[in-house]
Amino acid sequence: MKTYSKITPEGTRDLLFEECRARRQVQAKLSKVFSQRGYREVMTPGLEYFDVFNLGEAAIPQQEMYKCTDNHGRLLVFRPDSTLPIARMAASRLQGHEKPLRFYYNQSIYRNLPELSGRSNEVAQMGIELMGVQGLRADLEGIATAVAALSACVPDFRVEIGHARFFQVLADQLPVTPSVKEELRDTIESKNYAALGELLDPLGDLPAAQAMAQLPRLFGGEEALHEAERWFQDGETREILEYLKRLYQALGELGLGDRFMVDLGLVQRNDYYTGVVFSAYTHQHGDAVLLGGRYDCLCEKFGDPLPAVGFSLDLDAIADLNVSASQEEPVQVLVFGEPGYEMQALQLVSSLADQGVVCENSVYDTEEETLRYGRAMGIPKVLCVGKETREWNIEGGID
Amino acid sequence: MQPLRIALTKGRLEKSTVQLFEQVGMDCSALREKGRRLILPVGDGSLQAVLAKAADVITYVEHGVCDLGVVGKDTIMEHGSHFFEILDLNFGRCGFALAAPKGSRFYEGYRVKTVATKYPNVARRFFESKAMDVRIIKIEGSVELAPLLGLADGIVDIVETGATLRENGLEVIEPIVQVSARLIVNGASMKLRKREIEDLAACLEREV
Repeated sequence: MKTYSKITPEGTRDLLFEECRARRQVQAKLSKVFSQRGYREVMTPGLEYFDVFNLGEAAIPQQEMYKCTDNHGRLLVFRPDSTLPIARMAASRLQGHEKPLRFYYNQSIYRNLPELSGRSNEVAQMGIELMGVQGLRADLEGIATAVAALSACVPDFRVEIGHARFFQVLADQLPVTPSVKEELRDTIESKNYAALGELLDPLGDLPAAQAMAQLPRLFGGEEALHEAERWFQDGETREILEYLKRLYQALGELGLGDRFMVDLGLVQRNDYYTGVVFSAYTHQHGDAVLLGGRYDCLCEKFGDPLPAVGFSLDLDAIADLNVSASQEEPVQVLVFGEPGYEMQALQLVSSLADQGVVCENSVYDTEEETLRYGRAMGIPKVLCVGKETREWNIEGGID
Repeated sequence: MQPLRIALTKGRLEKSTVQLFEQVGMDCSALREKGRRLILPVGDGSLQAVLAKAADVITYVEHGVCDLGVVGKDTIMEHGSHFFEILDLNFGRCGFALAAPKGSRFYEGYRVKTVATKYPNVARRFFESKAMDVRIIKIEGSVELAPLLGLADGIVDIVETGATLRENGLEVIEPIVQVSARLIVNGASMKLRKREIEDLAACLEREV
């Protein structure tokens, strides 16, 4: 029988040394950013009941989830998303808690994606959720925290904001079937102007249809907001636009300049978003490295109507940007104990390590082999512990 | 600033794209005489072209190693879409169709039908939309052969003139969808290099 004992499954990978270190450094920086702003870390199980993710409109596509059963035959999935489990946790376990709730998380999600696409099926993510609060202050905090997180570990990024309600409000004003709405969403998401035009043509000059035709084009800097004023003259879309302008102006004080953009055609992604949505991009990565937004109707599906805003960062992508900057500290000292002095050697290793010296214990039986190993590894100094401690300097030969 | 990089589908679409580029006044001499080079400058150097097989164009654009691509809607339908599809270039027009041997009454009877195709995803979606169970077999080469050899009851394939079908005793049972070449853009590139990409698209749109 063919076995797969020597490789890892599609879409997963080992992280060795530099990559691992880069990931840990990014995690440490982000943990600091979040915890210093009052966010507290939570972890949710790697396995959850399928039902947590099968919530009608907010559902994760079932073909993307890794599934198994427990010993009662109940359907389980490997965590495909962190926001839904945290919503479950907050709504069921922290109902009487003072609001808002500030969480951050640092855990992987699993998606069974089409093979050979080059995408990861195990994605390390970190992010925050700010729950139990609505409104401008909370949205500003969410986006400002995202910018702080990016500033800590992404050299050159751009942030864009949009609003999930533009599409929803306009779609509700159109006399079209749900399946046409879905098509409209797809064409706006993929900025397929031609197909969008064909779908909207039969609706004539309805103001909502004309505004929707503009949605995918309304992105860029402040000028996109001015342009949008022409198309959103009154009603709820105008209110949303005014809200977005207030956000944009307030966030201007973060000093991002033209690295801060808007896209009114941000309709994609999880259906659970109900308000402002935002994402971040960098030149080195073909996908967004941060995705987030407001989701006010999710927690109520788990029993507590908590409005919330949050985002997640793609740690793999961000760690990749930081690999070259992250050098391991080289081993400075190799300690060898002569026969009978093994424990003394280990004690010397401990005391050197306590002083912050990176050192290794030699597991070889002879001084000769120890020196050969030290040379091969490029360790500059060897200490031989015996009756007295002798020192070899390997750089430029043994003296 | 790095030049924008565009992936072109080799073959017929490449020729039409070069023609279009020249119509809008871009110098395509490197593309016309490419020799062994794989990355070719276009116009004033603000654009770089690479040539690839259709499905690879999508892969390069999805991963952002190319900012833009020119690829047929047929390939987009078969290989999914995680990018922006901003312009219908109006060339490379043809259509997907279901075809079967002349007079074979594909939709009749209770037996589950077998369909041969190079486009299993397109075929699967088409029959799903009809709530019809079929067995789909992927064929890499001349799909018309499968029903002639008795492997399949029908085929789902690109039909341009229908001449190949007629010569092999097949006929179109039902057209599925019309397709043409599209200009596609990577999601991050669209956001990071909006002005250049919109200018290029507007310039091409005037000619298509």
